Amino acid sequence: MVGVVFVWPLAVSVAASFTRAGVPTLGNYTTVWRLYLRDVGYTLAVSAAGTALTFALAIVVCGWLRVRAFAPVEFLLKVPLFVPFVVVGHALRVFLVPWAPALAGSWGGLVLALAWKHLGLAALLLVGAFRAVDESHLEAARNFGAGTARLTRDVLVPMSAPSLAVSAVLIFSSMLASFSIPLMMSRGGGAQMLMIDVYYRFGQHGDFETAAALGVVGYLMAMGAALVYLQRLAPVKRP
Amino acid sequence: MSRLITRAAVLAAAAFLVLGPLASLGVWSLAERWTAGSPWPQRFGLKYWSRMLTGDFLEPLRLGLVIALIVTALALVLAIPLGYALARLAFPGRALVLLTFLMPQAFPQLPVFASATREFYRFGLAGTLGGVVLVHLVGALVFAVWTMTAVFRALAPELEEAAWNLGASTTRTFFSVALPLATPGVAASAVLVFLYSLDEFTGTLLVGAPFVTTLPVYMYTASQGYELQIASVTALVLILPGAVLLLALDRFLKSEYLAFFGQL
Repeated sequence: MVGVVFVWPLAVSVAASFTRAGVPTLGNYTTVWRLYLRDVGYTLAVSAAGTALTFALAIVVCGWLRVRAFAPVEFLLKVPLFVPFVVVGHALRVFLVPWAPALAGSWGGLVLALAWKHLGLAALLLVGAFRAVDESHLEAARNFGAGTARLTRDVLVPMSAPSLAVSAVLIFSSMLASFSIPLMMSRGGGAQMLMIDVYYRFGQHGDFETAAALGVVGYLMAMGAALVYLQRLAPVKRP
Repeated sequence: MSRLITRAAVLAAAAFLVLGPLASLGVWSLAERWTAGSPWPQRFGLKYWSRMLTGDFLEPLRLGLVIALIVTALALVLAIPLGYALARLAFPGRALVLLTFLMPQAFPQLPVFASATREFYRFGLAGTLGGVVLVHLVGALVFAVWTMTAVFRALAPELEEAAWNLGASTTRTFFSVALPLATPGVAASAVLVFLYSLDEFTGTLLVGAPFVTTLPVYMYTASQGYELQIASVTALVLILPGAVLLLALDRFLKSEYLAFFGQL
């Protein structure tokens, strides 16, 4: 089933990206290079900023939660997990439009929305990773007078670095491939997220071949992230 | 004392950041008049909530529920035997099957669904209920197969071995031992798949257009027409099942279970 409805169309789109009107060509990729290079950079930059913001917030809050457990905050952090992507895009749009109109249609608003949605997953993974750090390490650091900030920076983060890296890659590639959040935030002009380009190229221009080439660029970026994931995976493999 | 203040401050900040955008959906859903530049609506009312009772809104809701029920039933029928096989039987290509069921999570979905839409056109599936069910099944099966494999793996194999020793066939063992024991897992998997289908947007937008409209697509159309109030009412309705699930699952959703996540 997944084979027919996912792997087959995936293969078709990769094949189509190398043809135009049935003739083999690299023309679609030159079109991508000519028209969409800026958007590729924009997509990478927004995803990197979104991941950085997500983790900046998650590390501080989860470090604090690990040292001083506080259930209400932990519960709040899980809320974004259960809000659908489309709803997040719309909610952040109507949140920003009246009270921060300058942010609403900008890359900053998009970064905020992506970070909001992914904070749930990041917090779930980080609290878990931090709790797996043995209490005795924290005790030792406390005896030397370390506070919450020092405990987070010098003990929790270094000791859960493998889990942190894996979560970051996961969230980064999810942001790269995000479609419904940028679509709902509806940015009029300027640089766009890659998936928005794929949608308009396919839907409005009816240009499946170039859309497919843009898609392949997306697959490659996701695979790049997956490779980092697998490399990180190797050294922590348990027997 | 200072610890109490820190706690209150962190709680307030988290509540504002997490609940602020959701609360603004509530404000918008009640705003009958709100001109640009004004920080607050000029007139509140239930006008847009009453629009919920019209066919405009009820038809996408009904259609979404029908699709979610069909998707859940099909996903379970396929995923239960497959999950059992993946958990208990050693067969060639087992790792490949598991990896295939991870692909839709790892790859950007949109270009693949665009390609699927084009293929569906050739078979007359684009714009039909069947096409939307098929595209939902991709994501649904990812959830269902992985959760069912985990559920069957967590069962003690001794119980099934005992049944085999007493002469029961693999099929009989499955139906009278493994499946009844896995019922809570099956129920959890069903809830996840049902919610996934109800909230699915990308595939429905591409494959369903222009005839199959579910609530997420309806919400998108409304927001593109600057009917932000209608879209906000729809958004709040879409959040409801997730909120119920969050409250019900909070006890089970423990971060500790995910500590070794991704480390295989």
